[in-house]
Amino acid sequence: MLPNNLQQTAAVLAARDQFAATGLPGAKSEPWIYTRLQEVVVNPAQSAQAATSPEAGLILHFDNGLLVSGDVAWPAGMAMRVFTDADMADFAAYLPEDHLLGTLSVGHVTSAIVIEVEAGAQITELLTLRFTANVADQSAHPLIFIKQGAGSQCRIVEHHESHAALSAPLIVMDIGAEAVLDHAKMQADTDSTKHLSLTVMAVAEKADINSFTTAIGGQLARHETHMHLNGEHADVALSSIYMARGTQHQDMTTRMLHQVPNCTSSQLIRGVLDDTAKGVFQGKVVVARDAQKTDGQQMSRALLLSRQAEADAKPELEIYADDVVCSHGATVGELDETHLFYLKSRGIEADEARMMLIEAFLLDTLETVRLDELRASLTTAIQRWMTGV
Amino acid sequence: MTLLEIKDLHAKIGDTEILHGINLTINRGEVHAIMGPNGSGKSTLSYVLSGREGYEVTGGDILLDGESVLEMEADERARAGMFLAFQYPVELPGVGGMTFLRAAVNARLREEGKDEVDQLAFVKLVRAKAKELGVSDDMLKRAVNVGFSGGEKKRYEILQMALLEPSLAVLDETDSGLDVDALRIVSEGVNALRGDQRGMLVITHYQRLLSHIVPDFVHILAHGKIIKSGDKSLALEVEENGYAGLIDAAE
Repeated sequence: MLPNNLQQTAAVLAARDQFAATGLPGAKSEPWIYTRLQEVVVNPAQSAQAATSPEAGLILHFDNGLLVSGDVAWPAGMAMRVFTDADMADFAAYLPEDHLLGTLSVGHVTSAIVIEVEAGAQITELLTLRFTANVADQSAHPLIFIKQGAGSQCRIVEHHESHAALSAPLIVMDIGAEAVLDHAKMQADTDSTKHLSLTVMAVAEKADINSFTTAIGGQLARHETHMHLNGEHADVALSSIYMARGTQHQDMTTRMLHQVPNCTSSQLIRGVLDDTAKGVFQGKVVVARDAQKTDGQQMSRALLLSRQAEADAKPELEIYADDVVCSHGATVGELDETHLFYLKSRGIEADEARMMLIEAFLLDTLETVRLDELRASLTTAIQRWMTGV
Repeated sequence: MTLLEIKDLHAKIGDTEILHGINLTINRGEVHAIMGPNGSGKSTLSYVLSGREGYEVTGGDILLDGESVLEMEADERARAGMFLAFQYPVELPGVGGMTFLRAAVNARLREEGKDEVDQLAFVKLVRAKAKELGVSDDMLKRAVNVGFSGGEKKRYEILQMALLEPSLAVLDETDSGLDVDALRIVSEGVNALRGDQRGMLVITHYQRLLSHIVPDFVHILAHGKIIKSGDKSLALEVEENGYAGLIDAAE
């Protein structure tokens, strides 16, 4: 789904050159201090293998990073098209400057689409973005540009189930004034897949955003999310659950940029780590000088099920305004022995008791999900993770 | 018929031996009380019986229905019929009360090779038993013990006991933190569970609980040993004269 010349546009060529010049981050690169990138295969897939998703409904299916969906019955007020040169330049302008994941996927783009939601459109149907791959030596770099008009409402879920060397989706969402977005991401790539995603949301005034990530797959995954609060009275809730075992590595990196006054942001992050798995949370809340009356909350908690598991947390507040309510916190702990004993003393087997306590640990975060129809499948995915299926 | 036999039980926490050879036999249908001053080893005994980690048995044995439980985990002992009512019931944020009660009852049923409970029938059963013990519907809906008062936590313990129908109930300082009314409700709940097939071990510091739950036998525990046994009049003697005289006489 690329116009033939898109890979030769100025923005793409510039990104590719820059990625080639910069290379992977070195050991001293601050943003990558906890997540070392080694042996990242950048070999953009040329062709898809899977056919269109057989499921009916509002589904965009990317296989090997290429859009394979045929005709989708778009609801009124929602439409899709492939990138033009102008879109590419427009898209690139939202990305943070000199950002590794930006240059990586713009420079190696495999597919690029724009989804537009008209101003005022109330789309209740869930849009599913499905990402699959079955090429162990190739990489996928889909670019998705969502433009949500003022006062519109939409609901989007990403399903990542790739088996590839690298899945590196780049998503930009421009969310108009008073728009409402419910977004969820379920990342369950195979355990030989690296997942490096960057999601940028530009948020206008009075927009209301609820975004939830569940990350349980991949050999190494970095979920980087940048929220630019550009209009007053916007409200953003960004929550995530990650679970890793074996030698898996999960990285949740967020930047919450409060540029204007009177916005609210909250972040709840919960991690469960077993075996020698590693979890990383890097969350930065930046409050600009003019962004008075900002309410920015952030709380990360990691649960270690094994003594060899590791959780690194780097919460940061960078506040230039003087009338704000901001807080952050990060804890790392184990299951409480007295809690386990209490359950066991009632005859509940150790494994079941542990599962009950892990579910309880995740509960308050899970309750923030606004996409009701996903709640059951999220719970199932979490339970399946716990039983090791 | 012998239900519980504690034979020359020695136990330690870390490097410190707390129990120095306890002998006690409880038959089905009997209620035994263990009284003792602070630091005598009462709570340690309850944890050792129920199989809490960190409490190491260094000598002797504990037999339930003639079988040693020393190699059994806490959950296995519970499914074998043992129940500990905690002195300080544990709050479990995020664990729903009904989920918890059902998991416990189902674990017991599975052990006995029976079908798990029918969800609706179970809710009805729990509500009925809860009502008798003054446990409100609101408490049943909350997370386990979260936001409960001291008295509510103790009633919730007895509710669990009523649902699990253990053969041996160990009540660890169930009277602590209870006002007069709560003490009466809890005691009535316990007394309702007395029966031919069940044994009880009531651990307490004070006599007052024993005027509500009248024991068949009373044992005085001091420095990790039972120093005197008798009938309920022994509890009154402690009430009258304190522990000091008994301990001095034993030494």
